[in-house]
Amino acid sequence: MTRWGMVIDLEKCTGCQACTTACQMENARLPGEMWQDVLFYSEGEYPSGKLSWLPRPCMHCENPSCVAVCPTRATYKTEDGVVLIDWERCIGCKYCMIACPYGVRFYAEEKQKTQPDIRKVFPAKGDKVWDPPYKMPEHMQNPKWGVGIQPKNVVSKCTFCYHRVSQAPKGTVDLNPDDPKLRPYTPACVVTCAPSARYFGDLDNPSSEVRQLIATKRGTRLLDQTGNRPQVYYLAGEAPAIPETRSVRSGRKA
Amino acid sequence: MSGLPLTSDRRDFLKSAAATGTVGATVGATVGAIGEIASSDAAPALAQPAVRPETKVTKNICHQCPARCGIDVYTTDGKVHAIYGSLDDPIANGKLCPKGHLGAYVLYDPDRFVGPMKRTNPRKGRDVDPGWQRISWDEALGIAAARLNALRAKGEQHRLAIVAGRGWGSTDAGLTDNFGKLFGTPNASLGHSSMCADASKRAKHLMDGNYSYNSYDYRNTNYLLNFGAAFLEAYRPYNNNLQVWGHIRTKAPKTKVTVVDVRVTPTGAAADRLLLIKPGTDGAMALAVAHEILINGWWERKFVGDFTDGVNRFKSGETLDAASFAERWTKGLIEWWNAELKDRTPEWAATITTIPAKDIRAVARELGTTRPAMVIFERGPTTHTNAIYNGMAIHALNAFVGAMYAVGGMASQMGVPYGALPWKADDYVDDAAKAAADRKMERIDRVKSADGPLWSNNIQGIPDSHLSGRPYKLDTAIFYSTNPIFSTPDCTRWEKALQDIFVIETSPFPSETAVFADLILPDHTYLERWQDAPTYPFEGYPITSLRVPAVKPIHDTKHFGDTLIELGKRIEGRMGEYYRQVGNIENVLRAIAKGFEKNPGDNGVNSLESWAAKGVWYKKPYFWRQIGGEFFEWDGSDYRKPMSAEEVKRRLLRTDSGKFEFRSSYLERYADFVNAKLGVAKERVGFPQWLAPRYAGKGDLFLVTPKTPLHAEGRSANIPQAISIYQPVSGGRNEMFLEIHPRTAAARRIKNGEQVRVATDIGGITVRAHLTPAARPDTVVLPFGFGHWAHGRWAKGRGQNPTEIIPNISDPISNLTSNYSVLVTVERVANQA
Repeated sequence: MTRWGMVIDLEKCTGCQACTTACQMENARLPGEMWQDVLFYSEGEYPSGKLSWLPRPCMHCENPSCVAVCPTRATYKTEDGVVLIDWERCIGCKYCMIACPYGVRFYAEEKQKTQPDIRKVFPAKGDKVWDPPYKMPEHMQNPKWGVGIQPKNVVSKCTFCYHRVSQAPKGTVDLNPDDPKLRPYTPACVVTCAPSARYFGDLDNPSSEVRQLIATKRGTRLLDQTGNRPQVYYLAGEAPAIPETRSVRSGRKA
Repeated sequence: MSGLPLTSDRRDFLKSAAATGTVGATVGATVGAIGEIASSDAAPALAQPAVRPETKVTKNICHQCPARCGIDVYTTDGKVHAIYGSLDDPIANGKLCPKGHLGAYVLYDPDRFVGPMKRTNPRKGRDVDPGWQRISWDEALGIAAARLNALRAKGEQHRLAIVAGRGWGSTDAGLTDNFGKLFGTPNASLGHSSMCADASKRAKHLMDGNYSYNSYDYRNTNYLLNFGAAFLEAYRPYNNNLQVWGHIRTKAPKTKVTVVDVRVTPTGAAADRLLLIKPGTDGAMALAVAHEILINGWWERKFVGDFTDGVNRFKSGETLDAASFAERWTKGLIEWWNAELKDRTPEWAATITTIPAKDIRAVARELGTTRPAMVIFERGPTTHTNAIYNGMAIHALNAFVGAMYAVGGMASQMGVPYGALPWKADDYVDDAAKAAADRKMERIDRVKSADGPLWSNNIQGIPDSHLSGRPYKLDTAIFYSTNPIFSTPDCTRWEKALQDIFVIETSPFPSETAVFADLILPDHTYLERWQDAPTYPFEGYPITSLRVPAVKPIHDTKHFGDTLIELGKRIEGRMGEYYRQVGNIENVLRAIAKGFEKNPGDNGVNSLESWAAKGVWYKKPYFWRQIGGEFFEWDGSDYRKPMSAEEVKRRLLRTDSGKFEFRSSYLERYADFVNAKLGVAKERVGFPQWLAPRYAGKGDLFLVTPKTPLHAEGRSANIPQAISIYQPVSGGRNEMFLEIHPRTAAARRIKNGEQVRVATDIGGITVRAHLTPAARPDTVVLPFGFGHWAHGRWAKGRGQNPTEIIPNISDPISNLTSNYSVLVTVERVANQA
């Protein structure tokens, strides 16, 4: 069985956030609902100050704490290893947001951080949160996967672009975006990543590119001590680029 | 009526598309035809088609920066919902930068103008309601034409100006020269390059003879020394730079990168070494690097030459006999050494730049001993009053390492073999236009006047010219893709100047210029229009891309090129006849695409139809290469055809001498001018040299105002999805901050997050301070792009615009605005909000 996973090479990553905007576009996310965010960290002082960054999708953990705490089994793990939210079961209690050690879950609060509220500009009929003209086509949306425009009062998060990945031909080992045939099934962030810092494939197949990179370039998982066992691995290159614990997260309210 | 006029040519063009059975009117049918081609790529063997037949994929060119990345636009049920880089395109290679995905938000911006409008309130001001009245295109064009015909009747054609920002090709900015010629104004092509890159282009021109950007072979370089180019944030072509980065940082050997900048940037953070230099002193560092390379004998002898006896005689402080050195492809090395370089030691440079001498030596050693190596720079070091000398000192290093036209180095850009337009403007110049030409009126921006013999543009000077009436006052100004009332230094001058100019704004968006406009003739956005765009210098070989509309224009807008053509048709005399011949921009595209019949692209593009299907025409390789001090031309399979010195001079090193000139003969022609403006001794004018920048303002801190990675030439200002994304470092999320060192802040009793007043001699703005320990203590950083007072509901009232307090000072030689030659005061605001 395929078990999808991602490798992000931080030696290549430029912190450009094309992954962020590609995800936002592909999945029609609200402003600030950054399923694929990039976090910036700084430490030190002139002339040896340092800036670093970390792209952060959902880790699609092997042992996801969000699934464990969900009272309605809305959050679940698919057979092919992806953590999804069934919006038809989600009651918006946000337990999962607290349980997730990686902070990758979102809830469309009443007051949007970016004003004016775009939901009022493109209002939805029925129970959807909004209805932008650039939304994902209906046939790609699936509330059972948490894909598309969400209803009100649910939690949302990165789906590994499940509407794309789940349609990949059976037996696909590497989803290489440079291959025109496989590109449409590859997650948006992997497709667009200009320095090609992202790799996507089957973690259960030892000859997959992701498995080989993890082995040869010291793949690292974040917060491994939590036991969540992420299916997103980072390559830190020669110079460790994972922010040191002494770093201070930038971009919080000054 | 749709955006594209349905001419008979157009019908022919669409015949094949219609035959495929695709439904829809003009644009829809074309889109269908192209979608057919794109979706045929989907493999039938797959379980499910990834792109369903109801989804059409059209080719376009991203509009968020000048890079011209080819994009695939995904449209389903008439709505654009996704944009990805095109795999067909050699710049995008299937990838995009963060701005590339914003296109649908631009298209569906709820604040766009929905059609032509005229002003009904004669009073103009920031907060004055123009009293817009929706009118038909016919009426709108009629109003504009009446003004233009009146100017012609009075013999005052020079009082018409067309002010353009981001132009693309033959169908927009490419039309304005002929418009000016036929109308009779010298002001039809007033560009914005004087706030863009005129200094870097001029510095290179003065040394290697090419007044242009360079093409670069980054992928094969092993050392990159970067002076102030925001390679991973804003430097064109951003998307491709990111691709390059992924390659050069993981190839063997890994390309080593040193960044010299005035603030901590992602580029600097990602590099091997970031040196935070004192603003405006890059030239001093470059001179010291040059000095070190010479005294250590690390220069590329096959390009520069050598001492006649092969013994290195460069010793700090000692002059040399010019006859002792035989130069190869350079000119003036020993004269330069004697006049300037011999004393430019790292210790000397350390006192100017604040960069320790040991770091300068380390950079010099790496640059001097690594091949291929190259040195890049752009606006950072040249947005100071000493722009040209900073730029020349930096560019000289490229000769030292032999980077000119070499593998892993830099070259020029080849043009595209477009077909000629069948209509010759010269045949339609009538008596009114001839009489206007005979009057030899100066340009309103005073380019090529005694004050600006080497200027290309002077957009920042237009308000002063108009307000002073020197050389005259404008009557009518058409603005295309530029918003100088927001973006030029001391920008509020425009608010006075536009009071009594009849302003025609063609932006699709409710810009600040529009607030002062009398007539709105809104353009399509890029996903709604046809448009060609030859590449800016990229990798040297010719490329031109094409925009194909993804959707019919969603509002009653008109392609700027067609607006100009329609206006032309309404001008009395021969000019009107000319534009009736031209007809529309589609005829222009058809004519230029004819050139591909004889010159098919590498991807088989040989017609307008195949160009629309692929989105790009290109033909590799670049024709010329320098290999070990010899120049060769491509012979069809390799660089084997030797070039004579005359050919090199004609094609590549296009200076008076045909050499890379360390003593610029071109600049020496203007020795009196440079002496008068900059105080440089006449006999020293031609040499790259240290010249201290002059600062405006009585403050004590340098102010730098960079663009954030999502700035998108201003086109992201009203996109909430973009505004909500954190922009390193001072761009914040939803707002921006003044980056200030904690010690500098403490001396002013400023705490993190507090409101501070940043002021110059011409004004002040209030922003929030963000204490940034990594910043230079003498420099504050405030990103440009915020502080709109129009431009849509999300843009308006968000932050402050630093150009309101930046005085209008420029480098006298190139006229590039010296945005960073300003000193500011920063004070805590007493009553914190």
